[in-house]
Amino acid sequence: MNTLRRFGVALIMIWMVVTLTFFMIRLMPGNPIFDAYQTLLQQGVPSQQALVQIHILYDVYPNQSVVVQYLLYMWHLLHGNFGTSVVYTGRPVLPIILAAAPWTLLLVSIGLTISFFIGLLLGVLIALHRNTWFDNLMSQLASIFHGIPNYITGFVFLYFFTVILNWFPFGNIYNPAIHPGFSYGFVASVAYHSVLPIAAYVFGAFGTWTLSTKSAAMAVLGDDFTMADRIRGLTSEQQLEHLVHNSVLPLFTGFVLSLGIMFGGAVFIEETFSIPGLGYLVATSTAQRDYPVMQGVFLVLAGAVIVANFLADTLYSRIDPRIRV
Amino acid sequence: MSEIALSVNNLVVEFPTDSGPLRAVDRVSFELERGTIMGLIGESGCGKSTVAFALLNSVPTPGQIVSGQVDYPGVGDLLKMSDEAQRLFRWQHVAVVFQASQNTLNPLRRIDEQIRELATAHRMRDPKALLERADSLCRRLRLDSRRVLHAYPHQLSGGMKQRVGIMLALLLQPDILVFDEPTTALDGLSQESVLQIIREIHDEEGLTGIFITHDLGIVSEVADTVAVMYAGRMVERASSHTIFSGPKHPYSQALMNALPRLSGDPHLARGLRGSPPKVIGDQFKCLFRDRCEYRMEVCDQSEPQLIQVAGEDAQVACFLHGKEVERVSV
Repeated sequence: MNTLRRFGVALIMIWMVVTLTFFMIRLMPGNPIFDAYQTLLQQGVPSQQALVQIHILYDVYPNQSVVVQYLLYMWHLLHGNFGTSVVYTGRPVLPIILAAAPWTLLLVSIGLTISFFIGLLLGVLIALHRNTWFDNLMSQLASIFHGIPNYITGFVFLYFFTVILNWFPFGNIYNPAIHPGFSYGFVASVAYHSVLPIAAYVFGAFGTWTLSTKSAAMAVLGDDFTMADRIRGLTSEQQLEHLVHNSVLPLFTGFVLSLGIMFGGAVFIEETFSIPGLGYLVATSTAQRDYPVMQGVFLVLAGAVIVANFLADTLYSRIDPRIRV
Repeated sequence: MSEIALSVNNLVVEFPTDSGPLRAVDRVSFELERGTIMGLIGESGCGKSTVAFALLNSVPTPGQIVSGQVDYPGVGDLLKMSDEAQRLFRWQHVAVVFQASQNTLNPLRRIDEQIRELATAHRMRDPKALLERADSLCRRLRLDSRRVLHAYPHQLSGGMKQRVGIMLALLLQPDILVFDEPTTALDGLSQESVLQIIREIHDEEGLTGIFITHDLGIVSEVADTVAVMYAGRMVERASSHTIFSGPKHPYSQALMNALPRLSGDPHLARGLRGSPPKVIGDQFKCLFRDRCEYRMEVCDQSEPQLIQVAGEDAQVACFLHGKEVERVSV
């Protein structure tokens, strides 16, 4: 029942995001359809004919009211039709998004997982070695990396490892000369191209996880049961297991939420490394005011956050016995 | 003949602070006879719990046992044993019923899982035997064992958790039980039932234990001997009967006077003003003098030592009684 209610709330939120996106991007200066219409008029095309041409090209009338456009868009969306791109004339939006999504998913899930586990390891170690040189050094480092945005790390890595050292390739996510498919060459090429962007992501995110783990682990170390575990003669391994298990719980929600948020958060990294993922699509479609693509991508990004939220809520009650929703 | 189960000798525990090491426990010595319960009383911050932790060499960091012996006859000085031997010693020889048993259970493990962990930690080949013992202990503690053993800690009430704490403490059949204010966090009814359980077990099996509390009423109910601590020092030690019929140290007297009587005028109870000092470095004066109504010149000049009171089964660290002894010995 509760799950059902949350599912309903999630749907309403997605509808609100779609609606807001629709109107807000139309408030941005610059209107590609109107521009195209003006161009046709300047070329001497009669206005009636220009309208028809625009309609054939973009499936909209430039002089149609926004409300009618919105209703039409919603109607199409309910039928799984995200519309067609304005810039890549005639190409449907959905395949464009589906082609971009795997790259983002790949980078984000690997980057997030690596940074999470590095942060978990460091955080627990720091908490176990409070007020030692290790704590001082690592806590400082974590704070510094926590403060550096990932596009800066990205730029530094890009410059250092591709321009100066020439160790890694620049741009794209695989070598265009290789035919995409599940071949060794292709997978190796993707892995080779992913190293730097994933590293940039990990360096930008591990500090945050380290600091959160540290504070969670320190709270657990101060708990009475940690003291009791020691006095009960539990082995160090058992005590560590209790510590890690109890420290991970408060981070779990953040981890799942990050999966959702990071779909959009990878914009800068994807731009820096020219990776044709969702973030790249956001940047290019916004620059070109490709309304249908923008709407589609924003819908997917917001949807990812909402789904992640829903997942976090639902899963958390399964991993923490104290919370049974 | 009474057999000694534990002998503590000149135990000193310090906590580092910015202004120097804070002596939480200073030269405390005592012996515990097998089959008896010693009540350890004093205000909060007197070092009672620190003594208890020191008995297991588990003083919470950054505290440190600076000197002294914690000798278990037949086993030896715990402080000289290897880490692994100490780990196995804990809970097998000395177990603790904690002050806040509510929170001493891992919230993410069912009770029976935690019992299995104990079995693994203490190298028992057959965890089932331990679970069976837990089951029979539960019944004895009037716990619904089937429900309790499969429950997560948060599914149990405070009183139930405290009884689970007692069950866990008895599980490995330890020689000595330390009760660290086991009733403090409980409501009156749960307190009474926990005490009754402890008394029952004591009557039937003759528990050897240390009962830490600031509740004198409870001490008089369960303890055979009583030790009074003040500012990390042991200031009086006597049989339960002796101390309750006539406390020697002014601090013990003040503690007793602070207790409202059931019979007679409750307004006769008098509180003790102030709080125990935090002691850093060696002291050459009585630490209780500022709160003492019998303060004398000598109290500012040297620190009284725990000495035998002539003709009585009691020891006290106070110049009031030192003189008596001197007079006797002269």
